Amino acid sequence: MKISDFKWLFGRNSEFWPTNMKTGMWAWVGHRLTGLVLVAYVFLHLSFISTASLGDGEAGFDDLMATTSQPLFVLMDFVLVIVVIYHAVNGLRVVLFDVGLGIKRQKLVFWIAMAVVAVLVVGGMLAIWHLVFPEGVA
Amino acid sequence: MAEQKRIATSKVAGTWAWFFQRFSAVALIVLLGIHIYISHFSGVGEETGEEPLITFGEVSVRLDQLSYIVVDYLMLAMVLFHGLNGTRTVLFDFEKFARHQKVIDITLFVVGAVTLIWGIVILFPFITSGG
Repeated sequence: MKISDFKWLFGRNSEFWPTNMKTGMWAWVGHRLTGLVLVAYVFLHLSFISTASLGDGEAGFDDLMATTSQPLFVLMDFVLVIVVIYHAVNGLRVVLFDVGLGIKRQKLVFWIAMAVVAVLVVGGMLAIWHLVFPEGVA
Repeated sequence: MAEQKRIATSKVAGTWAWFFQRFSAVALIVLLGIHIYISHFSGVGEETGEEPLITFGEVSVRLDQLSYIVVDYLMLAMVLFHGLNGTRTVLFDFEKFARHQKVIDITLFVVGAVTLIWGIVILFPFITSGG
């Protein structure tokens, strides 16, 4: 299998080449990528919770939680927050179109959705930031 | 005639999958909101733990209440359906995977069923510890 075999998918003339994509297509690709990330996260989340059922049980779980509350991990949580918010708001946009609302103004609805995403991400950042920079930012 | 019937059946199945994907989507937004609120903002169970750390004791206090257990298990079921059905949709857009629809359907179903049981069982230590 050669890289050039994937030209239809990633090549300059493919639908997915960034400048060949329209707004809705971007939204669609983003929805799928964030969706797959979230599926991976669910399994990670469950495996972390499983530590309470393993050998050390209670202590093992508390150790893991202490590790994952360190700034670097909270920063990764923040990335997760962005992914979740995008997927949720864009998903609502899809549901809206499915029930027949807003299709005629789909571009406007997309940008309104992205504005809502931006506001929620800033809100999430404000809620989480003191855990990423416990000493405060100079 | 038989062929027609088969297509009709799969169309019905597809519509259900489509509907439940939307239904679970909206349910998950509500459930995730509750999940994040009780995990990080409500302060329930925090008297036993050191803020902002999540501890076994803290989670046990929460999972003493039936409503918390219901929210978690409901979320588990919804997220597994939504995530795996979404994965299925993504896979079948690639001809390579669409050719093996049946194998993938069975695999995803088994993964979902096993993970559901796994997810239910791993909360038992928290539920039975008595907070």
